[in-house]
Order: sequence, then C-alpha cells, then structure tokens
Amino acid sequence: MSDVTGGWFDARIVTGAHPAALVPATDREAIAAHLDRYALSGALVSAMASWLHDPIGGNAEASAIAHDLADRGVLACWTAVPATSGELDSLTALVDRAVDDGVAAFRIHPASHGYSPALLDELYDALQTNRLPLCVDSAELAWPDLTTIATRYPELPIIVSNLGYRKLRELWAALTGHPNVFVDLVDFAAHQGVEWLAAHGLADRLLFATGLGVRDPGESVVRLAWSGLDDATVRLVGAENARRLLQGVRA
Amino acid sequence: MIGRRPRHRIVDVHAHLGPYSLFFIPEPDAATMVAVMDRTGTDVTVLSANRAIQQDAHLGNSQSLAAVDAYPDRIAAYAVINPWQEPERELERLASDERFVGIKVHPSLHRYPVTGARYAPVWEFAESTGCPVLSHSEHLSPYDAPVLFQAVAERYPGTSVVLGHAGITPAGVDEAIEAARRYDSLWLEVCGSQMTGPLIRSMVDQVGSGRVLFGSDFPFIDQRMSLGRVVCAPLTESQRQDVLSGNARKLFRWRPLPGEQGLTND
Repeated sequence: MSDVTGGWFDARIVTGAHPAALVPATDREAIAAHLDRYALSGALVSAMASWLHDPIGGNAEASAIAHDLADRGVLACWTAVPATSGELDSLTALVDRAVDDGVAAFRIHPASHGYSPALLDELYDALQTNRLPLCVDSAELAWPDLTTIATRYPELPIIVSNLGYRKLRELWAALTGHPNVFVDLVDFAAHQGVEWLAAHGLADRLLFATGLGVRDPGESVVRLAWSGLDDATVRLVGAENARRLLQGVRA
Repeated sequence: MIGRRPRHRIVDVHAHLGPYSLFFIPEPDAATMVAVMDRTGTDVTVLSANRAIQQDAHLGNSQSLAAVDAYPDRIAAYAVINPWQEPERELERLASDERFVGIKVHPSLHRYPVTGARYAPVWEFAESTGCPVLSHSEHLSPYDAPVLFQAVAERYPGTSVVLGHAGITPAGVDEAIEAARRYDSLWLEVCGSQMTGPLIRSMVDQVGSGRVLFGSDFPFIDQRMSLGRVVCAPLTESQRQDVLSGNARKLFRWRPLPGEQGLTND
C-alpha cells in the first residue's frame, strides 16, 4: 500500500456506553464505520461492561463484536479478575476458554476492580504459556507492580495503555529494563514522545491504538500520521508490531 | 486515509516552551516546536514559556521573546502576568514590546482568583488596548472556574478573554459554553486531555464557530493530540477552518500575528 496511513491495526477499542464522557458511539456499526473511516485492517476490542460493570460477564460483549466483525479483522480482548468463589472459578480455565474463542489478549483493571495484581499470577502464567499479551492502563497498575510482573514473566508481552503526558520517566525505565513491555498510542500525549522512543531504538515497542470508546480516535490517528517518523516506522507502529504480538492480526 | 500531509492552515493560540519540573518533555525547544509545526501545517503558534507560568514570569517572558526572535515569522508571545510577581512591571514591558501579542494568566497555578483585585490591572489594560488575554480555566477551581469569568466579562465588557481548555472537563466545557453564550467577549479554546470532537462540536453548535479557537498546550502535551480532535471532529469544513485559524486571525487584532496584517474591527 503506497499510503502508509492505511492498513493500521487499532490495538484498543472499548465497546459499550461510557457513563461519564461525550465520546463517539462504539456499537457494531460504529466500529465498522471507524474501521472504514481510517482504513484500518482490524482492531482489538474489549468491553466497557468488563471495566465498569461486570468484569467476566462483559467479555461476551467483546466477543460478540469480534465474531460479528471477524471478516474486518476484529479480535476480542477479555478481562480477568482474581479467582473468587461465585465470580470466577479458575484463571487457567478462563484463559483456556478465551483461547478456544479466539481471544487475542487479556486486560486487567486492578485499581478499578479493587485487588492486588499479585493475585493474578495464575493468569500471567497462563497468558505467557499461550502467548497472549496482557493489556493494562497505566493508572490501573503501579509501576513497581509492572516491573514485578515483567520480571517474573519475561515472555509475557505487557501493553501499557493510556499513558498520558506525565509518565515518560517511568515509561523509560520500564521499556529499557524489560523487553517484554510495550506501550500503545491511546492518550500517548507526551510532546515528541513517539519520536523520542523511535530515536532510541524503541519503535518496535509502540502500537497504534485509538482507544475508541474512551478517547477521541482523532488523537492517535493524527499523532501517528503527522509524526516525525519515517514511512517504514509508521508501518511498524501502525500494524507490524501488532501483527507480531497479537495472534490473528491479518497481514 | 488521512495521509501524511495536513490539509488545513493552522494557528495555535495555546502553547508553551521549555521544560516542566513535574514530568519530562523531550525536545521542548523552539526549533523542535517549529519542526512539529511544519509537519502539522501550523503557520503560527502563540506561546508562553513554561518557566513564566511555573516559576518566574519575568525570566520566562524573556525566554518567550527569544523564541520570537529566533522564529519571528512562526512564533508570537504572550506576556505571562503573575499577580504575585510585580504585574505592573510586566504590563509595562508588554506595552512597550511589540513582540508580545497577548497576555497569559494562570490563576490555578498562581493560586489567585480571576476576580481578585490583583488581576484588575490585567483586565483594565486589555480593555483599554484590545490586547487579548488567554487564561487557564478549570471546572470547580476556586481560581478560574468558567463561571468566574462571567464576573470579569460583566465588569470589563471590552476585554477579550480566551478560556483556555474551555473548563477542561466535560462538565467544565458545558459551564464554559454557558459563560460564552452570555458574554460575547469570552472565547473558548479547545485543548485538554478530556476534550473530544463531540465536545468541540457542542461548543460550535452553542456558541457559534466564530469564538472557538484551536490550541494545543504543546510542548506540555503533543500538539497532534488536540489537533487530531479538531481535524476529525464532526464539523463542517467552514467551521473547522474557523476553529483552526480563522478565529485566531480575528482575535489578534491589537498586534497582528505573523503572516498577516490583522483584520479591522469592522
């Protein structure tokens, strides 16, 4: 494709209503229109309900979108919480079900869901075994906890999202200390942050993602399209890194 | 596909310069900012140095002027007036130095309300000269919540005040819209981490496209974040161009921005 601003894979969409923001819609039709508008090759979709209502039950909403839009390259990202009687019997079994369903990654919300990330060791182990990345918002996980997980599970890709503009000092330590840590472009708002990482040989740790559902997708689209990266690096960030990390991302 | 080259001409009315202690900013210098502007189609940026807002208005204002001197066709400067740091001295400097095109105040950082007496010289100067004032505005702040600017507009109806961030939060945007609907002297600027295209559309629908301004806060935040929201917002192309540059050219009449001679009051 001659225009390198087409064919990107959106590594984060959240389907479902947002209760406290005026953002574009994220139902099936809206996601399809989003893929069309920005000429995207696919997307990774999690459920707003999993974040803000029913962590495990909400996964069905992500999978429904992924199944409906499978021909558009849409994949599901499920959410996990610690195994708790009456809520979830086994994290290993959850990951097994996810693999059977074609899920491409998992997301955790330790802060929002009120638990210690140390309670998810079984999840990290299962994800590492199955080569499924772990996605987490920067506000959901303390940086020392991220370091602990990245160190104990060196083959587990960890994708940090929603970084904001104030966290480059922490991000630098995480990326340079752990080759299995990645960051997506959802609210990756630091001035020249993308170019700065690329200049230090870290472009292969960046994934294009819009955060449709929680952010305005125009942010990430324009951020990458009008970045100071060369065309080859734009392709890398736009799609190739996601293809390498996420099973099921189409060429 | 959006392509790698912008299609609009842009004036960025809310920018800064230099480092900031709370977090690391890569390449916050004027040369890098101009390089970013080249990529985004930005003709002119109006900035205030981070040092001026964060710590020392006088020294920071000198940094802003140095950036203007380095890029006189691309950068214009606000004079930061800190109510605790000899505001009259900086106002005199502003009056006598044509490299300054406006005033920047940051009531939340300086912990002093826009309605306080220490800001009165700012509003009086702006009203008497036509110098525009960009202020930080933040929902629920005791210093610069959007609703507070109604008192300023009521008392100084000839002062053009730009509500930077338009209140920041979604609820703050609604409050800023209400203030701007009541007072023609209040303008809305769109940068902020919680801003979205639909919120910008809401401003345009309720205030009109003629008083909504593009700003980015860069290099505090990357310019392309705010720009992407406007470029992709559900606006007509005419509305979008108003926001991206047309309105800025109308606002900065006291001392026209580089690249044009300014518009008349007619």
